[in-house]
Amino acid sequence: MILPIRNFSEKNLTFKSDAKKGDVEEVSYDKDTLLENTFTNRARISLDKFTKAFTIYPAKGLKGSKNSNFYEFLTMGTVPYVIGSITLMSIFNSYKQYLPFSKANAAKLGNKMALGVVLYCAFKELSKALITRPVKWKTGIDTELPYAKVNYLLQESPDDYNLTSIEYHKVGESVDFPRWDQLYGDPKKGEKLNFRYDKIAEKNGLGKDLNDSDQEVKPMYKEVLVKSKLAKSFTSFMWAATAVCLAFQKPWESYFKVATLKFWKPKEFGHSLKVLGKSFIESVKELYKGSPESFSKLERNSGKLLLGASVLVTALGLLNTLHITKKPSKVTEATVMDKNKESVVS
Amino acid sequence: MRTNLIQSYLTGTSTAQQYNSDKAAKDFDVRKELANRTFIKPLPSNGKLLKPSLFDMPSVFFKDIKYDWNAFRHAVKGEANDHELGRLNDVAMKLGGLTIASYLFTKKQTPMTKAFEFIGLCSFFGAMDLWPKLFLQLPAYLIHGFDIRQKYEDNYGRKKLVFQDHQFIPWDLYSDSEINKIGDRLGVPKDIPNRREFIQEKMRKIALQNNTMWMLTAGFATPILSALICNRLEKPVSKYLDQRSNKKADEILVNFTQEIQKYDFSKNQQALETLLSENSGKQITPDLIDAIHANITDGWNPVIATSVRQDLEQMLDGNGKYKISDKTLEAVRDVVRDAFKSVKLSEEELAKIVPDKDSIINVFNSRNLLGAEAKEFSEHSKAIQDLIDERIAKFIADDPSSSTAKRLNFAVNQMVHNKQKSVGSALTNVFKLEPAAVLTDQMQENLKAISSAMNNLKSKNIVLDRYLYVKAAQAPETILANSWNNTTDALLKVMKFTPEEIKQARFDREIAGEILRNKMESIVANRETYGNFVAEIERLLSELHSRSAVIELQPNMKDNNGNDKNLFRSLVNSSCDEAADSLRKANMINTAESIVGFDESAGTSLKGLLLNFGTDRVRGVKSSFYRILDLADLYYKVAHVEGLDGILDGKMPREVKEEAVELAKQTILDGHTSDFAVKFYQRRNLSPNMEDYSQIESVNGKVKNKYFGTHESTNLAEMANDKNFFDKVMRLMFGSELHSDTYDKLKSSAILDDFKNYRAKVLHFIGSDYYFAKPNHVINETRLQNTPSEYKFALMGCAPDEMFFNLFNQKFNSLKWFNVFGKLGAGLIGVTLLSQFFMGKMKKPEPSKEVK
Repeated sequence: MILPIRNFSEKNLTFKSDAKKGDVEEVSYDKDTLLENTFTNRARISLDKFTKAFTIYPAKGLKGSKNSNFYEFLTMGTVPYVIGSITLMSIFNSYKQYLPFSKANAAKLGNKMALGVVLYCAFKELSKALITRPVKWKTGIDTELPYAKVNYLLQESPDDYNLTSIEYHKVGESVDFPRWDQLYGDPKKGEKLNFRYDKIAEKNGLGKDLNDSDQEVKPMYKEVLVKSKLAKSFTSFMWAATAVCLAFQKPWESYFKVATLKFWKPKEFGHSLKVLGKSFIESVKELYKGSPESFSKLERNSGKLLLGASVLVTALGLLNTLHITKKPSKVTEATVMDKNKESVVS
Repeated sequence: MRTNLIQSYLTGTSTAQQYNSDKAAKDFDVRKELANRTFIKPLPSNGKLLKPSLFDMPSVFFKDIKYDWNAFRHAVKGEANDHELGRLNDVAMKLGGLTIASYLFTKKQTPMTKAFEFIGLCSFFGAMDLWPKLFLQLPAYLIHGFDIRQKYEDNYGRKKLVFQDHQFIPWDLYSDSEINKIGDRLGVPKDIPNRREFIQEKMRKIALQNNTMWMLTAGFATPILSALICNRLEKPVSKYLDQRSNKKADEILVNFTQEIQKYDFSKNQQALETLLSENSGKQITPDLIDAIHANITDGWNPVIATSVRQDLEQMLDGNGKYKISDKTLEAVRDVVRDAFKSVKLSEEELAKIVPDKDSIINVFNSRNLLGAEAKEFSEHSKAIQDLIDERIAKFIADDPSSSTAKRLNFAVNQMVHNKQKSVGSALTNVFKLEPAAVLTDQMQENLKAISSAMNNLKSKNIVLDRYLYVKAAQAPETILANSWNNTTDALLKVMKFTPEEIKQARFDREIAGEILRNKMESIVANRETYGNFVAEIERLLSELHSRSAVIELQPNMKDNNGNDKNLFRSLVNSSCDEAADSLRKANMINTAESIVGFDESAGTSLKGLLLNFGTDRVRGVKSSFYRILDLADLYYKVAHVEGLDGILDGKMPREVKEEAVELAKQTILDGHTSDFAVKFYQRRNLSPNMEDYSQIESVNGKVKNKYFGTHESTNLAEMANDKNFFDKVMRLMFGSELHSDTYDKLKSSAILDDFKNYRAKVLHFIGSDYYFAKPNHVINETRLQNTPSEYKFALMGCAPDEMFFNLFNQKFNSLKWFNVFGKLGAGLIGVTLLSQFFMGKMKKPEPSKEVK
């Protein structure tokens, strides 16, 4: 049921986020706007989401705001992720009061655990590119294309004058309802309506200058979205797992001895980075070859199995995504109905 | 004419069906709905709220798996929906976790660490799932009366949370009565306008606040809860795994015959047979002996491998004899020719000096050296030397002007002598070209029998080793190590150390010792506390005793038929004896001896090692605990000044008594093997009070010293010649009778004899051990010089202060960790629970006024 808006203040009410001076957001949009998938945009969106996940959204949620929505809930998923990582690291690194020997032993495990958490997150995010990049390169479909959504809010108190909020979504976020509208060009700006669809169609060999390239491309686009999501899920978790296993290799111990984040001490910091690189390479080698101290066959080969599985999952996921079944067959003259001929429809 | 579709509906054809769904409501009648044109509304929802019961869980579990599988199939084809893809993401996350656990599982060596990889994973996902259920959903339900994590199934059978998306809550799934019931529980007045909407808004708010709380707390809660779960599971899992591996180890012996089948060395045997058949009838060269030796001793320890080598050489080298063949003579000529290279003779000249084959044969014949096989070739060398000398003489006589005479003689000397001692000259060595012995059929049969016996013993040895490893190896999580951990943990518990004491004691062994001593003195001061303490130790040690009996191998354990009751010992005996018998028959005397031993070598033989390993390991563990029991008994006697008169008699000045008691109390607490070996070091008063011969006094478990500690330390000195004092101190610790109270607690125990035996052995082997600086410091005038140091070490066990120092450290570390994260967890739970009371606060609307 739609409740009447009480205390309606027409003077202040606006549906534009930059309507009032002094409360201007850095970037504002009048309507849902497609964004370019550039590094700057990605970084800006991530930062925006990250900040809001820790500030505005929890505050709204705790107040029980009418305007809280599923997007905010999902964005807040970053909170347990970050806090959980830090807590997990501290659980394994709370050995400061132990005696030296116990401390040294606890530190070995603790450091590896902490590194595992960091690498887990890094590999999980980076490995997604193993799917998205080749898919974009091969099909022209950018599954990560972002757009800014302007959300209209309900007024919660008479002081609420800013009744829009900006959310950052992706065009292909929902496979049930992809934002097809965002992919159309704006003729007012001199863009061809279907120019994005045209590009994809051409890239996939459907031909140039199609009448309805959007209709031809949409089923294919959706298929790629579904398949790439499946591939991304499995690939990213497999590589994240691989990263944790990598963190548990012995060569890292030489890095932990010199590890420092004090970048203002260039000598130490430089050395630490050098050792980090070396340890990484050595650890990858050890993960592949197995530890020299290992004595069981399984132990020696488990790293190979793990890496093999990750590569296999990535390759299968990618191949499945690139194997498009919903491509419309090329229109040939034989299949086109001749308008001049009489035909009977039963 | 065009067909009127609506008309056809109204007139009704049984085939026409507009709404086609498997899940259509049963009472849905399309005609009735269409007939009622005044209330056109959306079709009724087929979704439903899910009220899962415990009994549905298995079917729900399998349905979910089926759903995920179908989701996967759809996704592979590119036809999945958002919900399915979301579920698959969860599946992938769990798969990733499982991958990590599986990999780390392969890297871990012990059952416990392996198990905890998976327990850790399960506890993490468990904590992730349990946290919102236990600390948000349940309290919210109890306080507000509705389920904030209520699930529903939509038209398509997808399960979702009702309050997941606050812009879309399927309120129509709640009936009015349900909502009103919740409203009553929420304390919403009954007579307000739009009551349902108000209740819904309140529910939405509570659910949203809970969801936010969930996001904010899950990050802390999941890892902490998971770690605490693992922490609490450590003991029960360890207990379970201990029982499991103990049972498994016992089964190894019970199924000994099947177990040894697992180690099949027939390939090895085949390789030997091939090697033998290839060399059948051929000469036995050193290379062949090497190859045979390598095959037979593959996987054996160096002691046995050396013995096998000795035996094989004796058996195969044909008494070291060589035969003289054409080839040998040719080689002899080569050596001679080489020897004269340095002289630089022409071919003709060389031919004059180097004897031809015939002349060699002639000279050998004339000296009766040809024909028989020989072991030693000095005679042959002499004959050749004479022959060459003769030819050189003739050569020089033919050409007296030649200046090579000296150089020729030098070359001959080089050839027949060797600078190295006991190494034959070049000339004698060349005769050892062709061994006389050949590989006969008899030898081959013999070698096959040896290999078979050795391989058979090897598989048995591996199985017995495996058994010993699980039971008693110096490694984590063996049965003995688990027993040690359980007993020491229980000791720490029974002595009731406070966290403050543990915190202080962990810094240093000295401090740990002092705290332990104070604690023990306070325990022994009270007879009842002491009784309970001894009873508890007795219980712990009896358990240890019975658990370790299978490997400790007490003598004289025969059943009525004269068979050994101890399965392990009987298997070791039968396996080794059987192999040794076969080997003796094959003339492998040294090897047989290295397996079963002979007189003094019995201890170091394979059999001896197998039998003694367990006993030695258990001895070290038991000694450590018996020492604590002995310490308690000594402290008790001193605390109550009872049972001391036999040693601290009337002839001993009180001051010396006090010194002896102090030394005994401290040494039994912290003395290492080395302290006993040097017969103790204590600075004593050189001129004690010789008038006071009274007995010592004790108050509250501690000695009330009258003299001890009253002198300047500069006036004290070590009295190296007081052998009597040493004797008294040793007897105080290990020689005096047990206190009757201690005895009463132990008299019916299985460990009494073992404990007494331990005390007697320490007194004898440690007390009477010879130390050159104090040669007369021995017990009962017995002087022992050959007690192995390992034995003495095992008898002393771990010094109590050291044992407790380590325990204090472990305890502190786990306490500290638990304190920090336990408190954090408890705080988090408190805050989360408390927050419920601040949720759903809304201004109550005015009740509707009655219309008059």
